[in-house]
Amino acid sequence: MTGPHPNPEDLDLCALGALDGEEKQTLEAHLRDCPACRQQLAAARQRTALIGLSAPAAAPRPQVKSALMDKVRAEKHPVSQSSPSKSGKSWGLRFSLGFALATAVLAFATYELARQDLDRGRQLKQLQAQLSQNEAALQAMGQVTGAPDSAQITLLQQPGGPPGQAHVTYNARMGLGVYSGQIAPAPAGKSYQLWLVPASGSPVNAGLVEANQENGAVVVRLTPGLAAKAFAVTLEPQGGVPQPTGPKVLVGAAG
Amino acid sequence: MTAQSQPMPDSALIAKMITGDESALATLYDRYSPMLFGMLMRVLNDRQAAEEVLQDLFLQLWRNAGQFDASRGSLPAWLMVIGRNRAISRLRGRRDREVMEEEEGDFAATFASPQNIEDEAARNQLARTVSAAMQQLPAEQRQAVELAYFEGMTQSEIANKTGIPLGTVKTRVRTAMQTLRQILGSTLGSVLG
Repeated sequence: MTGPHPNPEDLDLCALGALDGEEKQTLEAHLRDCPACRQQLAAARQRTALIGLSAPAAAPRPQVKSALMDKVRAEKHPVSQSSPSKSGKSWGLRFSLGFALATAVLAFATYELARQDLDRGRQLKQLQAQLSQNEAALQAMGQVTGAPDSAQITLLQQPGGPPGQAHVTYNARMGLGVYSGQIAPAPAGKSYQLWLVPASGSPVNAGLVEANQENGAVVVRLTPGLAAKAFAVTLEPQGGVPQPTGPKVLVGAAG
Repeated sequence: MTAQSQPMPDSALIAKMITGDESALATLYDRYSPMLFGMLMRVLNDRQAAEEVLQDLFLQLWRNAGQFDASRGSLPAWLMVIGRNRAISRLRGRRDREVMEEEEGDFAATFASPQNIEDEAARNQLARTVSAAMQQLPAEQRQAVELAYFEGMTQSEIANKTGIPLGTVKTRVRTAMQTLRQILGSTLGSVLG
């Protein structure tokens, strides 16, 4: 273990973010080797966080909640697209065109249902919701694939792992990525999880992905400004985990 | 109070979110967004920026609901820690706090108490307690803590900004945190752990 245990004030100051210089380095070195102090730091963070309650509560505008719920509904199910193209176009463009086509088909289907005035209100609502999701995904995809500073990363299968391949188009400035790919189905009770691997620090959770995401891309929203050294897909317990614990299934270096 | 008037526990709402129940997220948003937004506004002093951070925070909660063990952690404390880190990162253009957040993504699970402030009266009471504790600090100590908490300044940065010797700043911050721990310790122990 590195050095003596810190006193409670040091942990409070660390939780507050007020430590710097040698004091910070010394404490961080100790924390790396001392689970007990890390636990105390967690408690100090909780205590310190509550200083924020001294700021008077305030109400965000109602549209913040409605926009949040719209995003949640849009993310709820990965959007689908038409059958994959075999042309030589870039896969980012393929997906953009695919989504555009799917959106057009859905729009036509929606129109047809409305025109025929059939008793299909429920179907109509479902189609409208899916149309909305596709439009949102198409918009995000257009932003990423159209930006000159977006990177295209191919994720390849790992030795001894299940067969598969995937692609990510990622724009660090926007914190926006588009994932598509295909992997052998995950075993029962397991999920595939996508990670952004930064240049330093631990992998960042980019969400769960389906084994067959070849015909439907997923829009990944991360913190804007987060640069990627690589992307990886790991096999994790069903529902995902905060940090990767399972084997790497697909890996692709960025840049 | 009848059983029907009891708010649904955070743990139950998180369980519902995991099954895809959007209304559970809406309930948690209604429950905690005012206190979070107040803190974010104080940090960012920009309504739009604070609203963006707030929305991202709840979106992250929705995406990662399956990873949060509400039986072992305090959801509002987690929201406050992550929200503050993000707001200060945005305010100061620093990524280090977010990296820390990701590296220690399991810290919420280390919180000892399963108790939460799900009831509005309990939240209001806790806010009054914290505000009163802050008011009990001498003005110069309170200023030092507020610069650190709401502006994300280190001790050296506080010394540079205020022109006060670094040693004095360190003493003020340490003394203030010690006092807050003593004042809040018993209250927070019973409310949040």
